[in-house]
Amino acid sequence: MSADEKILFIDYSRCIGCESCESACRFVHGQPRINMTRTVGGIMAPVYCRHCESASCVKGCTRGALMKAADGMVLLNPVLCAGCETKNCILACPFGGIFCTGLDDAVAKCDLCQHRRAMGMAPACVEICPCGAMHYVTRQESLALQTAEYEAAHRKVMEHVRPVLSPSPRKERG
Amino acid sequence: MPISGTPMNFAFAGAGPARGNGRSVAIIGAGPSGLAAAGFLSCLGYQVDVYDKLPKPGGLMVFGIPAERIPAERIAQGVATLANRYGVRFHPGTKVCDRRQTDDTGDELSTRCIDLDELVRGHDAVMLCTGSWKPRTLNIPGEDLRGVYTGLAFLFPIRAAQYDKSRMREIDVANKNVVVVGAGFSAIDVAHGALGQGAARVSLVYRRTRREAPCGSHEIEQFEAAGGHWLELVTPIRVLDGEGENLGRVAGIECIQCHLGEPDEDGRRSAVPDSCAKVVLPADIVVTAIGETAAPPFAERLGLESVRKNEIHWLQMTKLDGVFVAGDALTGPSKIGKAVYSGLRAAQSLSRWLTLRAMSRELEYREDAPISREDLR
Ligand SMILES: Cc1cc2nc3c(=O)[nH]c(=O)nc-3n(C[C@H](O)[C@H](O)[C@H](O)COP(=O)(O)OP(=O)(O)OC[C@H]3O[C@@H](n4cnc5c(N)ncnc54)[C@H](O)[C@@H]3O)c2cc1C
Repeated sequence: MSADEKILFIDYSRCIGCESCESACRFVHGQPRINMTRTVGGIMAPVYCRHCESASCVKGCTRGALMKAADGMVLLNPVLCAGCETKNCILACPFGGIFCTGLDDAVAKCDLCQHRRAMGMAPACVEICPCGAMHYVTRQESLALQTAEYEAAHRKVMEHVRPVLSPSPRKERG
Repeated sequence: MPISGTPMNFAFAGAGPARGNGRSVAIIGAGPSGLAAAGFLSCLGYQVDVYDKLPKPGGLMVFGIPAERIPAERIAQGVATLANRYGVRFHPGTKVCDRRQTDDTGDELSTRCIDLDELVRGHDAVMLCTGSWKPRTLNIPGEDLRGVYTGLAFLFPIRAAQYDKSRMREIDVANKNVVVVGAGFSAIDVAHGALGQGAARVSLVYRRTRREAPCGSHEIEQFEAAGGHWLELVTPIRVLDGEGENLGRVAGIECIQCHLGEPDEDGRRSAVPDSCAKVVLPADIVVTAIGETAAPPFAERLGLESVRKNEIHWLQMTKLDGVFVAGDALTGPSKIGKAVYSGLRAAQSLSRWLTLRAMSRELEYREDAPISREDLR
């Protein structure tokens, strides 16, 4: 059941934009899969993959390089992806959670530190966050974390990430 | 806003402590760069000793940044994991000194002094993670009057007084008129600190506009919402002396009006003073929070200038063999994340150097891509 699937949840109302998550990610993966953004108002916040239940990036990728894994994670298969011309996935993601690298591995995205978890470790970013703003929790648990402060902070970041899109979740089409 | 259920783990690189490798490393400075380096090295089986002049590890995460933003207990628990699970030895209240001693903010809390050479002799390698604590000054007349403080000198006692009340006193701002110069994160922290400590009026003075402010306009809106006063396009030219019994004490600050000029090399529009338009702001306390610079001990001996320019073969190794440098000590004031990354990279480099040297294979070392300016700014 999807409520038990684990995801990353960043409480933007606790985050101070210190970049530790991005640094740990860069150190572990070479190319960071979580990236800082700075809104016009100067709020610094990391943008990241939400491993959506109904993931636009998976639908948008014409090569089948993005897949929903059995445990709910959205995974990238770089062999199929490499050299993609369209970058549909980047455009499709409403959260700005897929990144263009400009390198051979054309895009980078979070896999919740798959290899670390296989060895019994938590995602690196969650362990290094000095504010305790990063939660590695189930979808169900994340609901309780969506406080009014969180919603307000999240809205500000999202207005910056997708200024032209409506901030409400998009409806499934036909 | 509950805190994450996943504990802070500076040793996040590995799944747990490794078998000891028989080597020992001394780390000077327990800020984010030093703690990240300590965590990485202990994952590889190094015996790590961490020296810090302050009574508690954490660096500016604990003694500079307000506790509402970084929960002190989360850092303390990350430190406890390093100590208890990984056997990292912490030596708080211990300043690593040089013969020519410099006085920095925070010195008053260290009780013991240890010489760098002693550390170099006693360990296989040393890492300098001493941060950036030397206050920049405005260089205007009157800056030495009583009641004028630098940002860190103002904030530090608020954080540190709880550790050693006998030697630290918080600056009393209750019912006073406080003027803060600057618009970076420390200026904002000072301004909020002063409001929180019951100042009658707190004004932030900045030479550009809120659009150019390094802390961002959002922070300034929050400061205003909390009752603060924001004054832009003014730059201080003189701190005014008191009269009568207040002689030698700050009475106000004289500023001149500025306008925005051409963008500078960072693309930020500069502030151009208009020499005729003067404003006098009365003040009981003036805090110049215009940043700190890195003045690490032994900078010259270690050739830090050339490390900054990447002229040393080994990533982040200084002129002294086996002495590495990381964090704000190397880059000047940056951010926690940059310091963490720098600490991790220096630790990795240190470990490679020791391993290859033990096999007399130093020549096989291939230069890693240096950390770019972009990574560190
Ligand atoms: C007021 C303020 C607010 C800030 N807010 C933010 C923020 O919101 N987000 C962000 O990302 N960054 C912020 N920063 C910057 C951030 O704190 C620093 O970039 C970061 O802490 C640098 O880490 P570091 O490990 O290099 O050094 P530090 O954290 O400075 O640690 C250095 C340590 O070395 C010790 N030391 C120094 N000399 C000696 C010696 N001779 N012997 C023994 N020990 C010594 C010091 O006691 C200290 O504990 C802020 C800084 C300030 C001042």
